[in-house]
Amino acid sequence: MMEIEQNMQDTNMKSEIPLTHGININNLERSDSGRNRVEYETTIKVVDLDLYYGDKQALNKVNMEIPRHRVTAFIGPSGCGKSTLLRCFNRMNDLIDNIRIEGLISLDEEDIYSRTLNVADLRRRVGMVFQKPNPFPKTIYENVAYGLRILGVKDRRKIDESVENALRGAALWDEVKDRLQDNALGLSGGQQQRLVIARAIAVEPEVLLLDEPASALDPISTLKIEELIYELKDKYTIVIVTHNMQQAARVSDMTAFMYLGEVVEYADTNTLFTNPAQTQTEDYITGRYG
Amino acid sequence: MTNPASSELMLRWRMLKDRLAQHMVAVGGIGVIVAIVLIAVYLVYVVLPMFEPATINKVASYALPASDTEPVYFSIEEQAEIGMLLDRNGKLVFFNTVDGTPVKEVRLAVPEGRTVTSLGRSDPTTGVLALGLSDGSALVFRHAYRISYPDDKRLITPVVEYPLGEKPIVVDPDGLPLLKLAIQLDEEQATLAAVTEAETLPIVHLAKEESLLEETVTWQSLYTHIPRPRDEVAFLLVGKLQRDLFVATDAGELSFYNISDWEEAPELLQKVSLVSQPATLTSLTFLAGDISLLAGASDGDIVQWFPVRDENGKRVLTRIRDFDDFKTPVNTIVQEQERKGFLATDRTGKVGLFHTTAHRTLLVESVSDKPILQAALAPRSNAMLLRDRDQIHFYKIHNEYPEVSWSSLWGKVWYESYPEPEYVWQSSSASNDFEPKLSLIPISFGTLKAAFYAMLIAMPLAIMGAIFTAHFMSPRLRQVVKPTIEIMEALPTVILGFLAGLWLAPFVENNLPGIFTLLIVMPFGLLFAAWSWHFLPAAVRHRIPDGWEAALLVPVIILLAYVSIEASPWLETSLFGGDIRVWLKQELGINYDQRNSIVVGLAMGFAVIPTIFSITEDAIFAVPSHLVRGSLALGATPWQTMMRVVLLTASPGIFSAVMIGLGRAVGETMIVLMATGNTPVMDFNIFEGMRTLSANIAVEMPESEVGSTHYRVLFLAALVLFAFTFMVNTLAEIVRQRLRKRYSNL
Repeated sequence: MMEIEQNMQDTNMKSEIPLTHGININNLERSDSGRNRVEYETTIKVVDLDLYYGDKQALNKVNMEIPRHRVTAFIGPSGCGKSTLLRCFNRMNDLIDNIRIEGLISLDEEDIYSRTLNVADLRRRVGMVFQKPNPFPKTIYENVAYGLRILGVKDRRKIDESVENALRGAALWDEVKDRLQDNALGLSGGQQQRLVIARAIAVEPEVLLLDEPASALDPISTLKIEELIYELKDKYTIVIVTHNMQQAARVSDMTAFMYLGEVVEYADTNTLFTNPAQTQTEDYITGRYG
Repeated sequence: MTNPASSELMLRWRMLKDRLAQHMVAVGGIGVIVAIVLIAVYLVYVVLPMFEPATINKVASYALPASDTEPVYFSIEEQAEIGMLLDRNGKLVFFNTVDGTPVKEVRLAVPEGRTVTSLGRSDPTTGVLALGLSDGSALVFRHAYRISYPDDKRLITPVVEYPLGEKPIVVDPDGLPLLKLAIQLDEEQATLAAVTEAETLPIVHLAKEESLLEETVTWQSLYTHIPRPRDEVAFLLVGKLQRDLFVATDAGELSFYNISDWEEAPELLQKVSLVSQPATLTSLTFLAGDISLLAGASDGDIVQWFPVRDENGKRVLTRIRDFDDFKTPVNTIVQEQERKGFLATDRTGKVGLFHTTAHRTLLVESVSDKPILQAALAPRSNAMLLRDRDQIHFYKIHNEYPEVSWSSLWGKVWYESYPEPEYVWQSSSASNDFEPKLSLIPISFGTLKAAFYAMLIAMPLAIMGAIFTAHFMSPRLRQVVKPTIEIMEALPTVILGFLAGLWLAPFVENNLPGIFTLLIVMPFGLLFAAWSWHFLPAAVRHRIPDGWEAALLVPVIILLAYVSIEASPWLETSLFGGDIRVWLKQELGINYDQRNSIVVGLAMGFAVIPTIFSITEDAIFAVPSHLVRGSLALGATPWQTMMRVVLLTASPGIFSAVMIGLGRAVGETMIVLMATGNTPVMDFNIFEGMRTLSANIAVEMPESEVGSTHYRVLFLAALVLFAFTFMVNTLAEIVRQRLRKRYSNL
């Protein structure tokens, strides 16, 4: 916890520094921001979702629609269920014993908990990046190519191309292009996290789930990741869980504030941060708890 | 808050504890290394003397004790205190070896008016000699030594006996002088052969006849003869079994006769040239055991020959090995009495010590500037008498381990009576003439063979079991399975060996078709069971919680095993004509031993499984879950995740598990001791046993004499085992370090 708080402070401190690529997210004009939510196309739809760990209820009647090609952020205090909700979208919760899920989640109007659905395929369509960078103990190249290889892609040229595109997409190509055959574990934490993002986008998912992607990174790396998220949203629907409200404010279009397993408020980011409808939300974003 | 002084004290105490712990760990670690190094050093210390060359120390030189005539023969008794010389006139002089003072003189019972014309020597261990006389007869006598302890001091008294009576034996009925004489005498019979001026060589066989009533002994003579070679006969030898007769000329032309059948005429088996032309034969004698001939040539070569059976079963003298350390003609060759070694001298006063089996020249040293005319070796080969023209030199010999050389340990050696060079381990036998066969190849091979079959069974089972347990099994089942398998490791291997030898071996033998059926049916049966599981109604499948499916295979395994074993007699009758062992022998030519590699593989595999399983399971379980999640989140199936991420990351651990398992299998003793049959055969046949380095040490160490060659070779076997396990472990560690470095950032 200490680390995260420290991280938040650092990030806070440095958020006024211009970003490396000269884009300051805070100053950006957002043509698509505002209250005009109807024009968003829904990618993930959650209806009356309840989730239990054994007897303990972790999510309670969650309803939400996640817009396509936008960044949606989940904020809330630790243990509020935001990561649990995120992991429902690619069924990573299946790996946990004694879990019970009720309700409906659909991806492009397809029930992802349907018996006929192939979980591996779902996870290809819904990529995920974790808090701690987790590159495989393989070369940089093989890390990015992993998703293609498990899909059975054999064509060397195609893999080369995808690896390059993914690394470019993750803004890592220029840094690693000369050492693709080096072990990925030799990269710095920030590079590793971008590598993991590259690995996720190499299989061309529709949705990218980011579970506190920058909380284990230094401020500079954090900014790079944020910048990357901003760039990626043209192509991918992004859902990000973060402890860092500033980060949520900077990168997301929509924000959901969760508390004790419930979605307290889900709105346009600007609205939520400037004019929250719920007092709980306001208390949280002004730092009264969390 | 504590006051500054006590916190200072606290700090110091903490530092002290920290340092103490550090030192204790260091001492422990260094202690282990020192212990291992000491073991290795001790092994080397015991082994090294074997590879030292022989040494000789001169004790004394003195003039001939009896200067009146020319000595023709020397010998030394067992304690190397008394030497004996025989002169041309039939006088024996026993003398102190250290200063040459005569102890006793004996004039042999050579009848009046006859002169001594030749000397025949029986096997040197018997002490029997024969003097060939000018009337065609031979006087056979034995010199021996009685040991008594008056005043608690050892006193050695030489005695001379006439085992065939004091009356000379007639060898040549025509009465011509015996120019060369050969003799062998044992308890029951004797054979004498001689060269005379005549065109034939007379041979006489003597058979002992005891009269029960009068307690008198008579010897019955039976005469025969062989033609004399064109050239002059230089050497005439009769083997100690009185079966072989060798006649050799100066040019080295040897005629090899079989004289075993007294009723028939001697049979000429072979004529062969013993030396390479243009050299001539200068010396010919037997090696201990009278199987091999040692031929010394004028060019300094010493060649060992012995009969080898050809494809028709005929014995053919074969040139086995050469010793070419001398450059001048070989003067004398003297056999060692209890080993396959010999002493040789050349014209320039050099003396050499050799060993045939090891093909080793232990020493070549110049002892005199004059040629050595006669030489004698003490029965224990620890002393020698060398006589040049004027003097006798008495030497002590330190030559404890002549049998050992690189070639005798690791090379193919042509042993006496073997059809071809072979790797053989046969360290001891009841007979004194035995040629020790000390090749470490068969037992090293046995070690690897046992380890191979054990690993063949253990590795797939242990690794796959560990993968399933660590990665797929439910935590509750895992909590039961893992400790259970680890308890298997605590099982004393003597129990496993005992069960393997006394229960499993006969069981496998009686149910051999069933065992093989089992090996085939089991994997397929399990796969089929797992596959059909998916076609059961969902209601049934959901009764079994995730990760417990493996438990369902237990009844399947039991059923398959039961069916296979029950079907065994039926299979044996219908497919293998009632007895699979006979069938294997007749149809495939494969021998079946009851204690064989299958039994060892099963029993030792059982012993090795826990080691491999436990380490592999830990390694797989320790793979960070975020890697597994990362892989699954990319859409990989659990199987793909297992193969591409988990096994890769766990590979250092799996590798060291396999290596530690291999080290265990190589060093394992009790199981192989009890379940292999301990036959040191070199055969990869799964139905035959083996003898391993460790079992060999366990079997032979209790009966080997401390400090003997055999004892030290066993230590060498231990050193080989040590080196082998050390190498395997070092290799494992190096590979593991490298792999670990690769994954160190995890």
